[in-house]
Amino acid sequence: MLIQLSQKQLKLQNELQEYFESLITPTLKAELSQPEYFEGGGPEFKKAMKTMGSDGWIGLSWKKEFGGKELSPIEQYIFVETVMRTGFPFPFLTTESVGPMIAEHGSEWAKEEIATKILKGELIFGIGYSEPNSGTDLASLQTKVIKQTDGYLINGQKMWTSLANFSDYIWLATRTDFEAKNHKGISMFIVPTDDPGFSMSAINTLGDVRTNATFYDNILVPESHLVGELNQGWSLITSQLNLERLALVNHGPVEQLYKDVLKTAQSTKIDNNQYLSDLSWVKHNFAHVHSGIEALKLICWKQTWIMESDQLNMAEASVAKVYGSEFFIEAYRLLMEVMGELSILKNDSDLTILNARLERMYRTASILTFGGGTNEVQRDIIAMAGLLMPRTR
Amino acid sequence: MDFSEQSHQTEIRDSLNKILSEHCSQELLKEYDANFKHDESLLSLLSANGFLGLGLNEKYGGSGEDLYDLGILFERLGYHAAPLSLSGCLVDVAQTIQKFGNEESCKEILSSIIAGEIYTSAILEPFNQDPENPMTTAKIENDQLIISGTKYLSEISSMAKSILISANSSEGVLLVLVESDKVKLTELSSTANSPLFKVELDSVRISRRSIIHEQGRGLEALRYLIQINMVMRSYIALGITEKMTSLVAGYTSEREQFGRVIGTFQAVSHRAADCFIELECLRLVNQQASINLNTSLDCENDALISKIWAGNACHKISYSAQHLHGGMGVDKDYVLWRYCLLAKECELINGSASQNIDRLGINITTNQ
Repeated sequence: MLIQLSQKQLKLQNELQEYFESLITPTLKAELSQPEYFEGGGPEFKKAMKTMGSDGWIGLSWKKEFGGKELSPIEQYIFVETVMRTGFPFPFLTTESVGPMIAEHGSEWAKEEIATKILKGELIFGIGYSEPNSGTDLASLQTKVIKQTDGYLINGQKMWTSLANFSDYIWLATRTDFEAKNHKGISMFIVPTDDPGFSMSAINTLGDVRTNATFYDNILVPESHLVGELNQGWSLITSQLNLERLALVNHGPVEQLYKDVLKTAQSTKIDNNQYLSDLSWVKHNFAHVHSGIEALKLICWKQTWIMESDQLNMAEASVAKVYGSEFFIEAYRLLMEVMGELSILKNDSDLTILNARLERMYRTASILTFGGGTNEVQRDIIAMAGLLMPRTR
Repeated sequence: MDFSEQSHQTEIRDSLNKILSEHCSQELLKEYDANFKHDESLLSLLSANGFLGLGLNEKYGGSGEDLYDLGILFERLGYHAAPLSLSGCLVDVAQTIQKFGNEESCKEILSSIIAGEIYTSAILEPFNQDPENPMTTAKIENDQLIISGTKYLSEISSMAKSILISANSSEGVLLVLVESDKVKLTELSSTANSPLFKVELDSVRISRRSIIHEQGRGLEALRYLIQINMVMRSYIALGITEKMTSLVAGYTSEREQFGRVIGTFQAVSHRAADCFIELECLRLVNQQASINLNTSLDCENDALISKIWAGNACHKISYSAQHLHGGMGVDKDYVLWRYCLLAKECELINGSASQNIDRLGINITTNQ
């Protein structure tokens, strides 16, 4: 047993930190501070993605045939952790969850055209799973696909298609067999967003993160856009979600925020003799966050290590998702308590602390307990797969 | 990065499970519910099979200095609610002497511990919140020490040949091995009926040679002892809470109400799932702490984090398990109740979660 990063991995971490310091220019920062570019999609963002891609960072653990470097998933995790610490809205769902599925199960076209371009930082995906009447019960989805002689005809509507406003493709879950039982009639398609049948309307959220309702009106895609076998899409969805769940709870951002708030508290004088960090309740809040982060880091490292040799275990991926998402909410609360009322100031005052990151991050945290598979379902999975208890109903 | 156990570690766990499940049946454990909780024959068996040498160097007859190996022993003792209290002997005394003692005392004491001889420690003091700063005093007179003070929660002290005592002196903190016949022992009856003692030292006169460490390293040795004790106690907690969680899974998968097994209710299965999450976190922070202590003598924050998770897991899982078992959880004919009592003991001894949060907070805000 060895629970630490190797010298080589620590070196990589340092190298990446330096890399991002020069990559994330003031111009890029300025772009990312505009609400319409919070999640990326602007010209500077696209430029930075392409630079990361051509510098070979995006696919550290990917196979060489796609342009990757065939390092382990740990190196890949370090990359994502480090980029997320900077606050850059890295499209990790594309690179860490959809990308690997396409690389493994896609057609020749998808492997050559899509997977390699993801690694070059040239393509971004939105994920089309939820529908107006299919959320937690995803397998009830109704987006309809009919086989034609020259491909597949898609009709339907998706909800919460985040990033669709600047995505190149949608990773779309569809129903291809209406006779089969729920899970058995589902297929996955790669759908181009420049098709005239594709449209969307914005959904603005409490976290000032834009998401979308997306509409698919008689979109015809060729056979090559089907990923995996026809009607065998459910297992792709669950595998993608296991990868997504791990990526969602990466410990980098929360640890960075903790460190920054700690530094601020240590340099904030509350009277002539005392700093904020001298107060005992403040120390307690930091200790709660710190001990929670250690567990999260170890959960993520272990999951990543498992990926080296094996498929992600369902129960453990769900443990990561439930623990991580609920811990984020608790951690943000404890850290906001430390900075008190200052935490609710937005980014336009001379009193603003930490670029109002606390104010923004707490507003985006709530989506993680239900997004990526609601935590109730994750707990069902843990009870079944981890404790071998009967299925709940 | 490698989270896998080596094959010898899996073997240790398997053979311990075999021995302990035979010797810790309900019937056998019942005998210790009201009597002195120490199974001499089980101790001999563990000794005969080499388990008392886990975490100790081969040159003293041990199986190597890996603290993760030792963690497996304590995890399994917890899992089976074994009637043995060995952290004073195998952790406090053996590990501290191995790291800070001279070659001679290592040879003598470690090999006799491996052979089944009992030593113990007496570190904690009533009302003293800071075990690193003992209220017990050692007055230095030429080559003699005169020790006075009161210690408590010392394990199986009546069986011990010598007791490792912490005391403050003009040379700073000292760790001293005192023969048991020089102190006054009073058995304490406590929540899990563990064999715990009050140890009173009234001007006990012993040779300076009883100090186990080099001059000036007493505080370092005591800090190490406290930390490794926290981590190994957290392994006991891991075993206890793992057992409680598996009892929950088993019971709620069989018990029927409203015409279905109660594990099919989300309110039930989700509380069980939360136990599973808590357990996974505890396992990981324990692994990290024991591995870091293998290569460093001071890993205070890792140890504190382990004990914080252990304290919380003991509390939460114990009450969830009792609740989900309904009346069975408190019925002394069923297995769960013993684990709940052990959990409370494990939660509180050598630093509660809140106390350790306080300590960790101080370290974080002042040491960076």
